Amino acid sequence: MAKIGVYVCHCGENVKGAVNIQEVLDFAKTLPEVVIAKDYQFMCSDPGQNLIKEDIKEGLIDRVVVAACTPRTHEPIFRKALEEAGLNKYFYEMANIRDQDSWAHWHDKLGATEKAKRLIASAVAKVKLAEPLEDRYQEAEKSVMVIGGGIAGIFAALDLAEMGLKVYLVEKQPSIGGNMAKLDKTFPTMDCSACILTPKMVEVGVHPNIELITYAEVEDVKGYVGNFEVTIRKKARYVDWEKCTGCGHCMTICPSKAPNEFNLGLNDRTAIYIEFPQAVPKKAVIDTDNCLYFKTLRKTGKVACKICEKGIPSKNIAGCPAEAIKFEDKDEFLTVKVGAVILATGFKVMEKHHFKEYSPNSPDVLTALEFERLISATGPTEGELRRPSDGKKPKSVAFISCVGSRDERFHTYCSKVCCMYMFKHAKILKEKYPDIDLYLFFIDVRTAGKDFEEFYVSTKQLGAKVIRGGRVSAVDIKPNGKLRIRAFDNDLCSPVEVDVDLVVLATAIEPGIDTEKLGRFFGASCGREGFLREVHTKLYPVDTASRGVFICGCVQGPKDIPESVSQAKAAAASAAATVMPGKIKFEAISAEVIRNKCSSCGVCVNLCPYNAIVLEEYQGIYKAKVEPALCGGCGTCASACPSKAIIFHGFTTEQILAQIEALTTY
Amino acid sequence: MEGNLIKLSEEFLQELWEEIEEMGMSVKDLRRCIQCGRCAATCPMALAGLDYFIKKIVHASILGLKEIFLEDSSIWGCQSCNRCVEICPMDIKPYELILALRRMCMRNYAMPSSTIDSLRNYYEKGHSVITAGYEERRRKLGLPEVPPTVLSNEEMRKKFQEVIKQTALAEVAPFPLD
Amino acid sequence: MKRVGLYLGCNIPFRRPDVEYSMRYALKALDFEVVDLEGAACCPAFGSMPSVDLLAWCVGSAWNLSIAEEKGLEYIVTGCGSCYGSLNEAKYHMEKHPEIKQKVNEILSSVGKKYEGKVKVYNFYNLIYDLVGLDELKRKVKFPLKGLICGAQPGCHNLWPEKVFPANDENTFQPKRLREICEALGGEAPWYSTITDCCGMGALGTLAKDKSETLFIRKIKTMLEEINPELYVVGCSSCLLRGDNRQAVMKKEGKIDFELPAVHIAQLVALALGAEPEKVLGLTEVPIEKVLEKIRGGA
Repeated sequence: MAKIGVYVCHCGENVKGAVNIQEVLDFAKTLPEVVIAKDYQFMCSDPGQNLIKEDIKEGLIDRVVVAACTPRTHEPIFRKALEEAGLNKYFYEMANIRDQDSWAHWHDKLGATEKAKRLIASAVAKVKLAEPLEDRYQEAEKSVMVIGGGIAGIFAALDLAEMGLKVYLVEKQPSIGGNMAKLDKTFPTMDCSACILTPKMVEVGVHPNIELITYAEVEDVKGYVGNFEVTIRKKARYVDWEKCTGCGHCMTICPSKAPNEFNLGLNDRTAIYIEFPQAVPKKAVIDTDNCLYFKTLRKTGKVACKICEKGIPSKNIAGCPAEAIKFEDKDEFLTVKVGAVILATGFKVMEKHHFKEYSPNSPDVLTALEFERLISATGPTEGELRRPSDGKKPKSVAFISCVGSRDERFHTYCSKVCCMYMFKHAKILKEKYPDIDLYLFFIDVRTAGKDFEEFYVSTKQLGAKVIRGGRVSAVDIKPNGKLRIRAFDNDLCSPVEVDVDLVVLATAIEPGIDTEKLGRFFGASCGREGFLREVHTKLYPVDTASRGVFICGCVQGPKDIPESVSQAKAAAASAAATVMPGKIKFEAISAEVIRNKCSSCGVCVNLCPYNAIVLEEYQGIYKAKVEPALCGGCGTCASACPSKAIIFHGFTTEQILAQIEALTTY
Repeated sequence: MEGNLIKLSEEFLQELWEEIEEMGMSVKDLRRCIQCGRCAATCPMALAGLDYFIKKIVHASILGLKEIFLEDSSIWGCQSCNRCVEICPMDIKPYELILALRRMCMRNYAMPSSTIDSLRNYYEKGHSVITAGYEERRRKLGLPEVPPTVLSNEEMRKKFQEVIKQTALAEVAPFPLD
Repeated sequence: MKRVGLYLGCNIPFRRPDVEYSMRYALKALDFEVVDLEGAACCPAFGSMPSVDLLAWCVGSAWNLSIAEEKGLEYIVTGCGSCYGSLNEAKYHMEKHPEIKQKVNEILSSVGKKYEGKVKVYNFYNLIYDLVGLDELKRKVKFPLKGLICGAQPGCHNLWPEKVFPANDENTFQPKRLREICEALGGEAPWYSTITDCCGMGALGTLAKDKSETLFIRKIKTMLEEINPELYVVGCSSCLLRGDNRQAVMKKEGKIDFELPAVHIAQLVALALGAEPEKVLGLTEVPIEKVLEKIRGGA
């Protein structure tokens, strides 16, 4: 006979507001093998936990049911209490009478009370059949892979490296720096983006603990927390980076042009190129889509141009002085073992072509990121504000907020940084060109953040005009080259229109193209909007559903630089806490194959989402075997096994049936 | 309404919401409106300077200010241009609210006389708008004096009226359908 | 021969039968067999049955569409934007709500009628654009427009809501189709920034006459400044009533200082295809002789 203690938590008003606690306690006492039923305002608090501990220590109980909130956050807390009182922590069961009961049936108090009773009866029935289980430990690699070399990835990598851990920083582009490298200045302090970012990029480049792998992407992932095996595809560079000195000579002689991605296509680069002057590493690559050599080779099988390599001897122009050109270069594959992974692949901004009411066909309608390049000292105009259409300096500029954000047709969320960078843009322009007319159109002005409101007011003081309640309805091209904005002005209570020379669209921040694919490699899931999802917004903000895989920066959702850096540091600390001890604890809740019963059908092998099951030779026959460290404890295999040969510890078939019976009996 | 002060009150809120729900507009959808102002920027009612135009109408509906719609005729000035439907970022279909409000008003016998005229014309002659002197205009162009519509076909006109009698027009029309 | 049902509506047969004449002429000249929809009624106009309730609206539209179905037509054509909008919206609602369609049919069955939803409803310029094509239209032109500058006005109801129409401009905020037709006739139809602006005709014109006129004046003044057209070409008969008949009145009342001749696109097509100017332009109020002289001069 078990001695079961049932503890009902009020969760403040959360449970008590809908569930009649006394009635539930009275009911619990009638359940077989329940010897104690108690309640407390907050069971998870110290005094609450002590109720359980004391009853265990006094020998009154040897099984525990807590009826409270969600096991997702609170199961570990109560298990620890059992452990501390000297009881096997798997003699514990949680009845979720908050999320699945009081919250869901808040207006049906009678029903909620009845449901609480059944949930408790079911937990009691299950814990009765609980078996003592032991956690297991495995060695962990003391290294971390950071994927994405923007500001978040850079800071995560540096913090980890400073802690003495080996870090692999993987970046898709030839250089690290990410989106921040494209910005001119940063709000609210107006630091020059490059001035604060590039020293950090250099630090990454020279840090002895950081192995920088750029122009590379994840190809495959095996393993699990503590022991990830990540295969990286290093894209062919067609330039020997050992030899390339980053002198840039090749870019002065290459005859092929292509849109410059770094400047968002506002100007051209050569087919062989260094991403931008401050690139780290500062190495050239050849873009084979646009290189004449490769284009001709693909079309005719012949060699047309090798100017970067050989120069133009007839004109006395030399080729690459470092002899680094390597047309025969191939993709390379590289597999590294790491204990934890941080995903920091950032975001992309929406392109303007989605917004057909904003005359996207006009070259003078720009996205905000394009505008950043237009006013950046390193941009196509070297910071001179000139209209793309005619190269003239605009006398008036309109900025439009919430383009694709707060919009059911595109993204329902607020992109968070646009209000502030619109003020930043206004400030930059007003300081540079005091006579310029600026109109900023907002739905609402959102300036929640340190020093943000003051930044807003000071921008208004410079003379930038702010129109609120003014989501722009139309941008129309006038035959004289002007762009006419139509909006509503809440404060004037009237529709307004204004003709301007240049329009800047604050287009939404959205998930990067391969975010979902990357998440799938590592078992990290995406939310509705396509950003990688944290396990718990408040308590586990940088953890993913996959243990040992962390997220930081805009891959998790729109955020500004200070927040990205904070998250990066949090992710670094979490990753370090995972791998630093050198061993990782695995919960005992996992599947086990009874080999004698296994019919070798292999159904479980394909079904297992964690790739934790293999067919292994056992007494001359192939039988299934679960790798406990890989087992995620989902139970899929156990329920699918036609021979009932898989035991799912912590959720045995007997336990589940007992739960169902209890749920349907009372 | 007195002067320029609108009293906020829940007095007719439930009533209005139920009525517009019945008339095909989901109040839950309507309440998604964040008053971004996009519809109002190009709404012909706003550009013409009517007291109430789509943005204000949505807001007043959410606040339950039923009397406004019974007293102010702005909703009857909506052009049905559907630009608001096309550009509303929250996809609340503002024009459908205008229709729902008109339907509500009709059931409260609050509609302009021009609306009554066009409904009467529609029922009696099959055409909402018939401009006098058409016979002469048509003859001049060598077209039959009466167009080949329900107007020139007595049998079809009877059938048409038989059909229209079975619609809600029979309940709301401030004139007999016979 | 392609068969097309001619849906007349109200304003065209009673107020501007010259548009009806032009549509009949143009469609025949473009090798359509024009089928009359005997017994058809009002679309119904937005201020009438749609403002009563959704079912009443759908019953009204289905009455018209069922007549076209009885005649085995695949498509019908309207010259009025409101008719085009109302019929297509009702079609859309009935498609989306089968229970409404069912009730509509219960009512129609009482007089032995039935609505299936098989007929497409085109407006005049989209029918020409999609079912004739610009090249074919060009070939048929007898009196080209000789570079006549046209200020095109498709009309709100011909553009939105996009999802209900069988054919539309690629970007309804930068419409091109009507302009391209003017160009195929030999004219020029440059872009101007108020091309999608409402002309003020319709419910607003009835409710607030003076205020509604400001919309027209603003639209036309901008158009005159930007492209200085010789002719205002509209895709909708309501726009024509505002652009021609009302303009003439406004001029008399001294509200405007411009005079811009206006035609429906059907009139312009008919004229270019060889119709008698006296009939095509027989009811035009704003003086249009100069335009006619340019197109048909000497003919």
